[in-house]
Amino acid sequence: MLNIALVGAGTMGQMHAANYSAIEGCRVAKVYDVVSEAAETAAAALGAQAISDVAEAYAEDIDIVAVTCPTPQHAEYCCRAAGAGKHIFCEKPLARTMQQGEEIVKAVSDADVIMMVGHVVRFFPEYATATELVQKGSIGDVGMIRTTRMNTMPQGSAGWFQNYELSGGVTLDMIIHDFDWLLWTFGEPQTVYSRSLYQHMPTLDYSLTSIRFASGAIAHVEGSWADLSSFRTSFEIAGSNGLIEHDSTENATLTVQQRQAEQGLAAVQVPSSPAKSPYLIEDELFIEAVAKGGQAPISVEDACESLRLALAACESAETGKVINL
Amino acid sequence: MSVNIGMISFAHMHAASYATSVNANPQANLVGIADADAERGRKMAERFESRYFESDEALLDADIEAVIICTENVAHREKALLAAEAGKHVLCEKPISISVADAQAMIEACESAGVQLMTAFPCRYGPAYVEAKQMVEAGELGEILAIKGTNRGRNPGGWFVEPELSGGGATIDHTVHIVDLMRDVTGDEVASVYCEMDRFFNPELDCDDAGLITMDFSGGCIATLDCSWSRPPHYPIWGDATMCIIGSGGNVWVDLVSEKLNLYQNDKSSYTWVGYGESMDYALIADFCRCIEAGGPVPITGYDGLKAVEVALAAYEAAETGAKVSLAS
Repeated sequence: MLNIALVGAGTMGQMHAANYSAIEGCRVAKVYDVVSEAAETAAAALGAQAISDVAEAYAEDIDIVAVTCPTPQHAEYCCRAAGAGKHIFCEKPLARTMQQGEEIVKAVSDADVIMMVGHVVRFFPEYATATELVQKGSIGDVGMIRTTRMNTMPQGSAGWFQNYELSGGVTLDMIIHDFDWLLWTFGEPQTVYSRSLYQHMPTLDYSLTSIRFASGAIAHVEGSWADLSSFRTSFEIAGSNGLIEHDSTENATLTVQQRQAEQGLAAVQVPSSPAKSPYLIEDELFIEAVAKGGQAPISVEDACESLRLALAACESAETGKVINL
Repeated sequence: MSVNIGMISFAHMHAASYATSVNANPQANLVGIADADAERGRKMAERFESRYFESDEALLDADIEAVIICTENVAHREKALLAAEAGKHVLCEKPISISVADAQAMIEACESAGVQLMTAFPCRYGPAYVEAKQMVEAGELGEILAIKGTNRGRNPGGWFVEPELSGGGATIDHTVHIVDLMRDVTGDEVASVYCEMDRFFNPELDCDDAGLITMDFSGGCIATLDCSWSRPPHYPIWGDATMCIIGSGGNVWVDLVSEKLNLYQNDKSSYTWVGYGESMDYALIADFCRCIEAGGPVPITGYDGLKAVEVALAAYEAAETGAKVSLAS
């Protein structure tokens, strides 16, 4: 039995914890949160122990630390976990700064532990299928790629998402999903230019990023925390031999509206997928990698490159400069 | 009263739609057509029940008040100057010119001749755009913070892909419509332009067929525009014209070609979209005629045409240099 310490009991932490409960061979043993009531509530629901000192997450009886706290603390918790020889699952983005990201990569490499970062979009079937079609050459050489990811402004514990210094806004926190999928599917980026509305946080954030890849392909990445609707995504990939289009609003297999739920949308909206939950796939693959001692399907190095691209977009939006990578 | 109109050239495919709009308009008469391609000119004169004139000069001598110019882009300047000299008002197909100097010469010639110069930006008359602009003017969206635009299409072929006639490729063809709407809706000018440009979909071409333009407006609004000919040959429609406007008080999406039916036919392997929206070209022509008749100023000027094409030209410069290009406002 793999014992997991959950560090961060917010929306994403609770979601991963529920998945771990459903996966054989692992269990959430301890829950930590800076807000002790949050840890206690989550721990009670999981039949786990709430801990008030995070050091207990790195104790002898723990195999895995799942870091699902706000981004700025990722580096500290991941490095301590690696130092204690624990395997690590960490939510995206890997870290708030490049220095922190590189520290994590080094700590994980030095400790020789297994780490996976939650770039879950790779497990969303529409994105995975598109990647497969591109790799099979179904649309020839890829030219223009357009992605859209739209959400309401998330709240989070003490409103940390709404603070650009902490979350990096929609560009670092949310469309890093698209950056990761783009790097995974289309390879190395060369040039980034981005404009965003990060100055308008906490009211809203919106970003438009232009990327040129080494392959020659051009991508347009749209991220919105200015939306007033349910979470939605879309993409299109135009190649020399055709076009792939997807729009989550046009491909719903199940649409539910409840009269009692009219008062509003969730504080942190998580996109759903009609098939098996991509988050469960992600968690299963990670647990399997740890159980069998194999490679995690998304390496910490990949997550570090996605971070590099997202931070380059942030820098471009902040300075107005074209960034050559 | 009605306005007598002559048409100079059917080189641009929009000419047929304009001719249809003139004929459908009880306030306008299509007096004649001149075309350097005499065969095309005669054919179009017959199709639109008008008269073919052997030369531009002959058409300009006829009993007309205004001309619609639909030549290859490179010839807009010459024809507009001829019309101005003859004292005729001008409606010029977009882009107004292939250089800022050409557009300036057209504006000056029409000004000193005392004739109107209007740039053909029919998207201004799209009902969805008109309503969005009213919302903006009423303050319902607050401050306009960002606009994401698309004007994607297909390679139109012909002279459109000969830069010496068209001035470029997809970027000069498909930048100006949406940039004009962005200028109109924000009331601001484009301050800087960055562009990634390439030729992806039609490797045989000598011009760009993909462009992604990123802009800052003078009032602080940020914007992007995809002007690529990225629609495949079997796509159900030629392309699109859209804007997503993010305001401090709300968001609005404008889709100028969304009114459509899906048509599936047994003898075709893909379906097509059949539009049922109002004709923006009809509204454009009607407004042009109304202004000519009223002797009043046209709502979309030569200067509007110039400012839009200036952005397209800056995009070429940015793509060439890899740097952001600043524009004086």
